[in-house]
Amino acid sequence: MKTHPLNLSLALAGGITLASMIAVNSQLASYSSPLLASWIAHGIGAVTSLIVLIAVSALAGRKMPVLPKTGTPFWAYLGGIPGAATVVLAAITVNSPLGLSGSLALIMAGQVLFGLSCDALGLFGLTKRSLTLKDGVTLLLMTAGCLLTLFGRG
Amino acid sequence: MMTIVIFLALLNGCCISFCRILNGRLSQDTSAFTASLWNHTVGFIFLSLLVYFTTSVPVETVTDAPLTAWLGGVIGALFVALNSYVLSKVGATLTALLVIGGQLVTGVIWEAISHGANLTQLAGVLFILAGVMVAKCGKLPGTQLLKKATR
Repeated sequence: MKTHPLNLSLALAGGITLASMIAVNSQLASYSSPLLASWIAHGIGAVTSLIVLIAVSALAGRKMPVLPKTGTPFWAYLGGIPGAATVVLAAITVNSPLGLSGSLALIMAGQVLFGLSCDALGLFGLTKRSLTLKDGVTLLLMTAGCLLTLFGRG
Repeated sequence: MMTIVIFLALLNGCCISFCRILNGRLSQDTSAFTASLWNHTVGFIFLSLLVYFTTSVPVETVTDAPLTAWLGGVIGALFVALNSYVLSKVGATLTALLVIGGQLVTGVIWEAISHGANLTQLAGVLFILAGVMVAKCGKLPGTQLLKKATR
């Protein structure tokens, strides 16, 4: 399958926002706790999304859909629960013998393995994608790169 | 103890991927920022319960945090929207790899600016970028030859 370069860039941009978000949230956590910082960040994130939706609706002159549409499965609305659980799990593993680098490496492995299973089986409304040679090469190069950057700290 | 912690870290990765997939599914029917709104609202309610039942949460000191420290949620809204938009288009595996890659490359560049470059880490960045290049190309150079040879 041909992937559009714009979508690849947007996903990379997602990684940049993630790095900045972690840095900023850690600062907030240093004044309270990871749990409280995440709670505040979720509140502010909800308000921000609402403001963006209202602004886009006003600018585009059409109402952005917020409430459930018929046909959308109810579980699609529950992404916030595993997302919030992440904070609690990270707080446990980062303060264990695994440390930050070990936790990050295993978190990456978990993400990729879960993603691979869902893509291969076409679960949760994903387009079924079987692993091609190209995907295998991408996976190998990026895993090697991630491990080098994670454990290569001088 | 170590086995449990390793399991929890892997489970954490699955949670992140699962969160992204559910938000991606929602954005297919609505919009990326609608998915972001629901993600943050449901997460906020879930965390409110946790905060309520955790007695030892320090609330007073948080007001001392500088204004910039409060902006994580604003970046978060954009982060979830980007993830949700991209997910159904490139798949869960590639989205995970690209987001992780972007995150690590940002970290390495940041560290290189503030503390000086680290060669091993820069080599890692090159590997990540090579991976992105392979993903970007429609097909691998040489794949056609390989197919012809095996035929």
